[in-house]
Amino acid sequence: MDKGEKDKYELENRNENSINYQAPVMSSDWQFGGANLTTAGMSLVPSGNPLAIGSSCASASVADSFGSNLWEHPSNSQNLGFCGINVQNGASSSNAMGIGKSTLTSLRSGVDRPFDMGWNAASSMLKGGFFLPNTTGILPQSLSQFPADSAFIERAARFSSFNGGTFSDMVIPFGMPESMGLYTGGMGLMRGPEDMFAANGMKSVSGVESQKIKLNVTEATRDACLQVENRAKKSPGNDRRNGSLLRANEEAKQGIGGSGNESDEAEFSGHDGGQDEPSSLDGAGGEPSAKGLSLKKRKRSLQDAEIDQAKGGQPSTEAAKDGAENQQKGDQKQTTSVNKTTGKQLSPASHPPKEEYIHVRARRGQATNSHSLAERVRREKISERMKFLQDIVPGCSKVTGKAVMLDEIINYVQSLQRQVEFLSMKLATVNPRLDFNIEGLLAKDIIQSRAGPSSTLGFSPDLSVGYPSLHPSQPGLFQAALPVTGSNTGVIHRSLSSQFTSLTGGLKESNQLSNPWEDELHNVVQMNYGTSAPSDDLNGLNHLEIHK
Amino acid sequence: MNKYNPPRMNPSSLRSRFATRFLRSLSKINAKKPTASSSSPTEIFRRYRRIKVAADKSMAYSVRSRRTWSRAMLWKLRTRPCCRRSVKTSTIVRKTRHEKQNKNTTTTTGEDGVVFGVEADELRELVPGGEAMDLYNLLDETAHYIKCLTTQVQVMKKIADFYSP
Repeated sequence: MDKGEKDKYELENRNENSINYQAPVMSSDWQFGGANLTTAGMSLVPSGNPLAIGSSCASASVADSFGSNLWEHPSNSQNLGFCGINVQNGASSSNAMGIGKSTLTSLRSGVDRPFDMGWNAASSMLKGGFFLPNTTGILPQSLSQFPADSAFIERAARFSSFNGGTFSDMVIPFGMPESMGLYTGGMGLMRGPEDMFAANGMKSVSGVESQKIKLNVTEATRDACLQVENRAKKSPGNDRRNGSLLRANEEAKQGIGGSGNESDEAEFSGHDGGQDEPSSLDGAGGEPSAKGLSLKKRKRSLQDAEIDQAKGGQPSTEAAKDGAENQQKGDQKQTTSVNKTTGKQLSPASHPPKEEYIHVRARRGQATNSHSLAERVRREKISERMKFLQDIVPGCSKVTGKAVMLDEIINYVQSLQRQVEFLSMKLATVNPRLDFNIEGLLAKDIIQSRAGPSSTLGFSPDLSVGYPSLHPSQPGLFQAALPVTGSNTGVIHRSLSSQFTSLTGGLKESNQLSNPWEDELHNVVQMNYGTSAPSDDLNGLNHLEIHK
Repeated sequence: MNKYNPPRMNPSSLRSRFATRFLRSLSKINAKKPTASSSSPTEIFRRYRRIKVAADKSMAYSVRSRRTWSRAMLWKLRTRPCCRRSVKTSTIVRKTRHEKQNKNTTTTTGEDGVVFGVEADELRELVPGGEAMDLYNLLDETAHYIKCLTTQVQVMKKIADFYSP
């Protein structure tokens, strides 16, 4: 789109200006250098143009002088021994600047290097080169402005949506070198499609395509935003994969360049493939992204499957399968015939990505009946639940097999219920010495206060790992898992003593109060240990209590 | 004097909700007990029943109706008969459970390739409201139920430790 291109140029100018503004020192040195240039240039150049350079250097604002120097310098380049340099194309002018810099470095020293880097950066932005990884020093400052501009993001996404992985990297406002490298890689590729479209003479089609791409932009923004945290964690690892994805996308793009519809789906499936991979086993992050993606995939044709496989046939497709195991609405689609034909393209080791209710693909060498597909999906869901329960129920990590696991789970639930009964019996026998209300509030404070560091017992990490995926809204329970039963006494002791000191206002009685509490708590420990023996599954806990 | 402010947990967490409700019900139960007969075993037993019901009820109310098991438990508690009527309903319940055992074995094996058979039925018995669920939802409910049970146990343990002599 011309508007997009214009905006690109505007942004590039802005980028140049930003670089300029952020490097006032450099430009001032440039001015000095210009002054030196005048002196040196006069020796080199017979014409009086360097005087113009010097005057323009000395005058005006930083950016203007810089810009004017930019345009004037090539005119003098011939004087400096250059020839055949186009002024119209910014890229070539920056090239000239680059070359010119090399001569100027002979005149000046030290300051040119950041300049060169800056101009190299600009040239890379313009030409789509990959100079950037060398020059990440300056760029993060300027590029960090970009993600803030959502309109720019959309436009950038329009062209870079071919690169599913890099888009979300662009959204991240981090100054991470890898992501910046990918960012400019993505921006470089923005040039690619434009050139391609221009070359194919598809200006009219590109207008249509860009409209279709707009649909994907919002999806991409949403999905990318959903995956920002995943990206942040995994962007170093994404480099290689997304780099290869870029190249694959480019090749695929050129292959598909003819039909707009296909490329539209290609973008999206490429986007999907790019996004599915890094969201390896992060359940929370993978769920919304997969959900958003699959909701949009409802109307895709079979071509989507081919393209998706061609692009997404990267090793870590199990991640997509994991992300696919979510509750989603949609129709179940059978692409088994497509799978058979495109199965040859894939490596035998990779499993095609499976999604629920929309796109269930049969794996190689497996039955393709719709019933068996649904059954397999259910089985996988059930096994996932079993694994989760294995994490929750203590002592089940070494147990394999579903029947034994279920037995363990049943025993555990029974033991918990018995524990509740026993505790209620105990509460029935307790005679509260003080009024319930006040002490109830106190107890509530105790109960609500975080357990101390003593709660980290042997298998509490397992439990805390198991919880987040199930109930992320209740983090307080994580460290309050089963083993806390062993740590209650320590916690209560500490919190009680603290509470009593605050209650009694630091009277001397508090000291006397805390001492009897200690004795009583020791008694309580022994009592707990003795009375909780009957339950089988509590033996492990009791051992832990001993160790405490 | 140094003020010790324990870091506050999420006030709307399951644990705090359950704790407030349970403490309230506990105070109600203990308020109406006459001190004279508190030590008799029958009285203690009655109090135990009431406390157990209060614990289950407060847990189910803390979860509201978001979970199948909590809904089933609430329904069970609401239609809970008094002692006189309990005999009749218990026999009925037993019969239906026996019937269901015959039924469920076939359904569980037919659903997925793995035979779960008897264990799933036992689990269904344990988890309230589990009779009407397929295996996947049953496992889901079991996980949440386990979590709530551990909360319950923990809170009650703390209360008991607090009030124990």
